[in-house]
Amino acid sequence: MVSALFEDADEVSRRLDAVGQLVDQGTATALYLATTLERPLLLEGEPGVGKTSLAKALAAALDTPLIRLQCYEGLTAGEALYEWNHQRQLLAIRLTEARSETLTDADLFTEEFLQDRPLLRAIRHTGPVPPVLLVDEIDRADDEFEALLFEILGESSITVPELGTFTAVHAPVVVLTSNRSRELHDALRRRCLYHWIDFPGPERVVEILRRSVPGADAPLLASAAEFLGRARTLELDKAPGMAEAIDWVAALSALRVDRLVRGDVLRTLSTLAKSPDDHVALTEALTQLGCPPEGEPHASDAPHTEEARKP
Amino acid sequence: MSPGGGALLPAVDRTAFAVALGDRLRARGVPVGLTLVDDFVRALVCTTLRSRAELYWTARICLVRNHDDLAEFDAVFEAVFGSAVLPLDPHARRDGPGAAPRGDDNHAPVPGSSREEEAGQGLPWVTRPTTVDAADGATEHTLALPERLPSDVAGLVDTPFEKLGPYETRLLGKWLESALRTWPTRRSRRFAVRQRGARIAVRATVERSRRTGWEPVVLVRNGAIAQPRRVVMLCDVSRSMQPQAVAYLHLMRALTLTADAQVFAFATSLTRLTTVLAQRSAEAAIEEASRRVADRFGGTRIAGSLRALLDSHHGGLLRGAVVVVGSDCWDGDPPERLAAAMARLRRRAHRVIWLNPRAGAPGFAPRTTTMAAALPYCDALVPGDTFASLRGLITQITHCARRERHPAPRM
Repeated sequence: MVSALFEDADEVSRRLDAVGQLVDQGTATALYLATTLERPLLLEGEPGVGKTSLAKALAAALDTPLIRLQCYEGLTAGEALYEWNHQRQLLAIRLTEARSETLTDADLFTEEFLQDRPLLRAIRHTGPVPPVLLVDEIDRADDEFEALLFEILGESSITVPELGTFTAVHAPVVVLTSNRSRELHDALRRRCLYHWIDFPGPERVVEILRRSVPGADAPLLASAAEFLGRARTLELDKAPGMAEAIDWVAALSALRVDRLVRGDVLRTLSTLAKSPDDHVALTEALTQLGCPPEGEPHASDAPHTEEARKP
Repeated sequence: MSPGGGALLPAVDRTAFAVALGDRLRARGVPVGLTLVDDFVRALVCTTLRSRAELYWTARICLVRNHDDLAEFDAVFEAVFGSAVLPLDPHARRDGPGAAPRGDDNHAPVPGSSREEEAGQGLPWVTRPTTVDAADGATEHTLALPERLPSDVAGLVDTPFEKLGPYETRLLGKWLESALRTWPTRRSRRFAVRQRGARIAVRATVERSRRTGWEPVVLVRNGAIAQPRRVVMLCDVSRSMQPQAVAYLHLMRALTLTADAQVFAFATSLTRLTTVLAQRSAEAAIEEASRRVADRFGGTRIAGSLRALLDSHHGGLLRGAVVVVGSDCWDGDPPERLAAAMARLRRRAHRVIWLNPRAGAPGFAPRTTTMAAALPYCDALVPGDTFASLRGLITQITHCARRERHPAPRM
């Protein structure tokens, strides 16, 4: 193993902490093992739990470029690996004809006419530190695309028939993310280390929110984290994740709210609920979530309401 | 691998340790291949473990590749290390702490069908007629292909819902889930290279022509991508539908889990059940759904519920969808209102299928005024009194995959 990027898992947490990303022990271990064993890392977890931002933070911590490949249905090799620049090749042919020079096939297939796409760019990167290659939402790409990744994941090399095989000087740190909209193939899973990112506990949520929204004050953060924890137990179409939580607290602090009150929660609910059904479900459950109606004290909620009004 | 360092596992043969843990996981059904064990050994070499949590994370990241296996992994890890006093004793050097107490025979016979929940209780086959065994004592050494007997499921599918117990209903619910293999599709606006597509893909053709000296010998074609079509199912849970309600909930759960389906229950008002049924175990989902539907086993307002669906923001879901309405058509609303609602539904949906539990009875004719009012707007009327007929419904839904609009069989 040549010059490991990190000494141990603690160093991973420390250096990610320095760039503003809080990670738990499991995630730090996963990143440490992925960089040390030079294996790709497959991250799964609910949407908005911070998979993509983890890769970004890793690139920032290593001070190396982040090369991102956003997957989508119908993504082809031409958009992921490389493409020949047809237009320039045709121009070159015309130009040599006009100058009445001779042109061989080898002249047309040189690196000059090769257009790097993200995967090849990551392989051809020259620098002391390998780049971070983020293959985002791999589950959105077609099954066939997974097979395309095997060579780069296994050997860190890409073969261009006309030019030969490019092999990375330092194998890039590959991070794949998936939202589990479909099952990935076992062959892909086998090649990667796997880490499932759990939704963080309340204390950590407060920690992360404090980092992400510096303007918000402590009591608001605590009550917001508690509110989120309860809201996530409801049967929602999409349970609010970390990204929604950050948006929500940012919205609350932009409105200069210092305490969770029903009216303010209702005003900012659109940052948490991303479908009409969730909006209705959250609104109905507000009392149960710790925000009782203010104007009309309910018989059963009356003591609760009084308590909430005291401070 | 030499025995070595780490405060947690002093002088433990890490290879043996990793292999033993992998073995134990495999015995519990977690697919742990050689690559994964190799990863784990390499990870153990390059980390100094100081706490159980570190060991946990290292093992989990290296040995588990799927979220579904995490629970099993946690159980095994807890069983192995939960009460173990770490650092491990020298005993662990011999065969690793994870070694299961078992014999040397790795080729022990495995029961042919271990998935009992699908096949039902008991062995679904016999090996040989017993009379042969009695005549000849040496038959146990001859290999015989097992003769398959109908399993529990096959015997149950034709039983009416009223006569099924909860266990059988659950079993058949699972069977329905497995029956949903193909799904109707719709043509999307996006194109992809396809062998017998309708258009010529110019860019791909030119690219391909590079191989033949820029002479386009092979034409590459484009075709529209097919997307799964949405299925919307409405289920009547009024008093008259009480025997069928649980079975229909199982069907709706199967639809929700397998593909892009939206499901609703109604009696006098409409309740959306998609999220409830998609989560957790079958029993919990059914229970929660029954709790959610406040007005179940009361009266029926089919027309009112249909109108509520059409008017709500879910109305858009019906556009181009295959709509299944499961009801016995005993309606409290006047039939004209149902006809009006059905006409609106018909205009919006791709296909409307009515599922009637009474339609399977011999001599059934759609004579109730509501059924007669709804029938002109339905593409098919399907009986729904046994699980076999629910399977028939699935075949009907799958039929919608065909692009041309052929008249559906009417009963």
